[in-house]
Amino acid sequence: MTPLEHYPVVDLGPIMKGMAIGGLGIFHVFLAQFAIGGGMLLCYLQWLHMRGRCRLARRFIDDYFKVLVLVSFVLGAVTGVAMWFTSIQVSPRTIGVMVREFHWVWATEWSFFCLEVVAGYLFFRFGPRLPDASRLQLLGLYSFASWMSLFWINGILSWQLTPGGWIESRDVWQGFFNPGFLPSLLFRTICSAAIASLAACVLINLVPGFTRRERESLVAICGRPLVLMLAMPLVGAWYFGSMPADSRGWVTGGSVPMTMFLTMAVGASALIGLYAIFGILRKQLYVNAATAGLLLSLAFVATAGGEFVREGVRKPFTIREYLYSNSVARDGIAELRQRGVTADDPYPLRDEAAYPSEQLVLGGKVFRAQCSVCHTLGGVNSVIELTGSWSLEQKRLNIAQLQQTKPFMPPFAGTPEELEALVQLIGWIDAGRPDAWEESSDPAVLAEIRRWIDEAGTRPGHASLAAATGDRRR
Amino acid sequence: MNAVFPTGFPPATAFYLVLLVATLLLHMVFMHYVLAGSAYLAVGRLMGRQWCRRCGWQRLLVDWLPFATGLAITAGVAPLLFVQILYQREFYSANLLLSHRWMAILPVLIVAFYLLYLQKSAWIGRRGWGWQIAVAATAFAGFAFIAWSWTENHLLSLDEAAWPTLYASGDLRYATAGLVARLAVWFLAAFPTLAIELAWQGRLLGIPLSGPAAAGETVAGLSPLRRLAMTALAGLVGMAAAAAVYWPTLPAESREAIAGPLGRPWLVAAAAGVAVQVICWLIAASRDRLPSGLATLATAGWLATLAGLVVLREAIRLATVDLDTLAELHAEAAGIGGLPVFLIFAGLNAAAIVWCIRMVARRAVTPEPGSRSGS
Repeated sequence: MTPLEHYPVVDLGPIMKGMAIGGLGIFHVFLAQFAIGGGMLLCYLQWLHMRGRCRLARRFIDDYFKVLVLVSFVLGAVTGVAMWFTSIQVSPRTIGVMVREFHWVWATEWSFFCLEVVAGYLFFRFGPRLPDASRLQLLGLYSFASWMSLFWINGILSWQLTPGGWIESRDVWQGFFNPGFLPSLLFRTICSAAIASLAACVLINLVPGFTRRERESLVAICGRPLVLMLAMPLVGAWYFGSMPADSRGWVTGGSVPMTMFLTMAVGASALIGLYAIFGILRKQLYVNAATAGLLLSLAFVATAGGEFVREGVRKPFTIREYLYSNSVARDGIAELRQRGVTADDPYPLRDEAAYPSEQLVLGGKVFRAQCSVCHTLGGVNSVIELTGSWSLEQKRLNIAQLQQTKPFMPPFAGTPEELEALVQLIGWIDAGRPDAWEESSDPAVLAEIRRWIDEAGTRPGHASLAAATGDRRR
Repeated sequence: MNAVFPTGFPPATAFYLVLLVATLLLHMVFMHYVLAGSAYLAVGRLMGRQWCRRCGWQRLLVDWLPFATGLAITAGVAPLLFVQILYQREFYSANLLLSHRWMAILPVLIVAFYLLYLQKSAWIGRRGWGWQIAVAATAFAGFAFIAWSWTENHLLSLDEAAWPTLYASGDLRYATAGLVARLAVWFLAAFPTLAIELAWQGRLLGIPLSGPAAAGETVAGLSPLRRLAMTALAGLVGMAAAAAVYWPTLPAESREAIAGPLGRPWLVAAAAGVAVQVICWLIAASRDRLPSGLATLATAGWLATLAGLVVLREAIRLATVDLDTLAELHAEAAGIGGLPVFLIFAGLNAAAIVWCIRMVARRAVTPEPGSRSGS
């Protein structure tokens, strides 16, 4: 595996790239889970109808399915493709590795996706003209296919954080059935059921033609899957326990934003769960459109928090112990420290003429290759802001030993000259981009940087931290 | 590249090439229906309310285009997967260079998709004809923009020498001599596909194509079948003309790949397919009848043309890439497990899809009293 592959790097200006993929991801996951849970709920309703236990079910199913098709089959399908394209924009190497390692898993998921679309459209178009048994068969196939698409994609996504035995064996099934696979699958299944129930409660209130009593009856029935939320704490704890120790550390105080996102997810889920269990299921309260809408919004907040945590706890990797967030291979650091991270970069800077020296151009290329995937130069998570209070010496030291400065950062992967160029770039921008900027090439400084880099080693921060903790204990 | 496609390549490369071609062909079956169908709708709307009211194809397209778009997107996932195995660096680099401009296809696709649903709605039926024209034209413009973007992206992926300069310029557009001609080839190729598909769809749904039964659907003196024939013939002639314009814009090595051992049999197949289609449609138009045998022959010709075009598309690309480097990556990918699982589930799911369609065809009944139509 090469240490780094050079692609043209996209510049989103002041926006952090993680915001683009995260924002889209949350939206897509929410829609996908709505579709998966919706299929399961509609199967249940059809079954109740056939048993004579819900006379309104048939009509409501047809109404619900129209929304499912209009929302999920259009927005859900296109945002699914958009996830691929956005991943390419943010980290082509990461998605490239994922595709290479799991292309048959993805192809298998695609075959289920085909079944889901065909069964879904047939139900949408011909469902009202089919006898009950055929409707249940079609809904069953639709529901199974949509859940299976979750099954397959869940293995790939959980592999990114907990690749398990794949790291050693490179066996696709060891990677797929990784330690996070089952808890994540169960957790997402429960989330899907809950989202579909809440969406149903919104729809019950919006579809014309039902009386108040009929709406009450439908809310009581559609709210039943929310009982699965009782298992959420247990499954959530299992999922949490499957994460690597340092990742757990980020969300339990180690990283303030990550802790806040987890709190947001847990808090919103708890509020929904409490209302569902005590209000909807126990007290049989009627849920009007406003309340149902609020609960569904809370579910979106919980999804958003959860997805941010899932993306965030992988730091400093995109594929744990294999590929860093900046697409540098874990085992490629040492080589890049000798050859330089920009040595093979064929792409010039876009505004090269605006840089007053070659060293600053080099600094721009180093930033682009190593930092720009998570940081900006003047927007969200700007390196200028983050290093604003550091002295020149501190900048050199902290970047040279980056994984020890902040263990969720990858080790610096470049030569001392490249590090110094990056430090000079930060200083130049911080100074307001003056027209002239003196080059810094003091051999003593470069030697000191080399010493610091060597001292930090090439291991990721969590490994250095674990080693240091072990040393202290000994 | 001295052997007929896909032979002559290392086994892994040949395997993934066949998968790409096969799945791209499947995608095109639906994508052509959407692209040409949305154009047909837009033109129909411009022709006026009476024209559309009499044209059964317009009604059919309004009804089926959203489903076809869903299928086109779904079928498009597989070639998108295999192109990432075969030409990862090239595909990703082109995506990244076009950046926001390229990503714009996604919101545009969502809007165009919803506009197709809007055309089915009662809401649009209550609006003035200007609305109908605007919605149909905007939906078509959306699909045309996506087609143009894919062409631009594809051509850029073949032009590695242009990447650093384009990146430095910050320009998010890539213009090259062959862009318009290539886009025209593929756009016009969509019309014979649409004609074949509508002909079969009409037969399956019991829509009269010609004769006294179709008299009520005669538009501008043309029966439904003759309108299809005109659509197909215009597409075939236009495609051939666009290909003639595109040919000189191709680099010498690409022309050699097409005319040489790699692509020649496929070029012949495509040309023969065009000839067969032209003859079949001329016969059908002159007799105002499309018997099963003639329809099957036209379909075979269409399939030969489309398969030939898709292979020639790859031949052009293969002439521009570093095959030795890529072959190593393909071999590495082929060594990764999972193929048997895919084959098993693909087979089972294909069987389930067939079962669903047969079951619905057998059991769908007229609307039950009190129930409402889902479509």
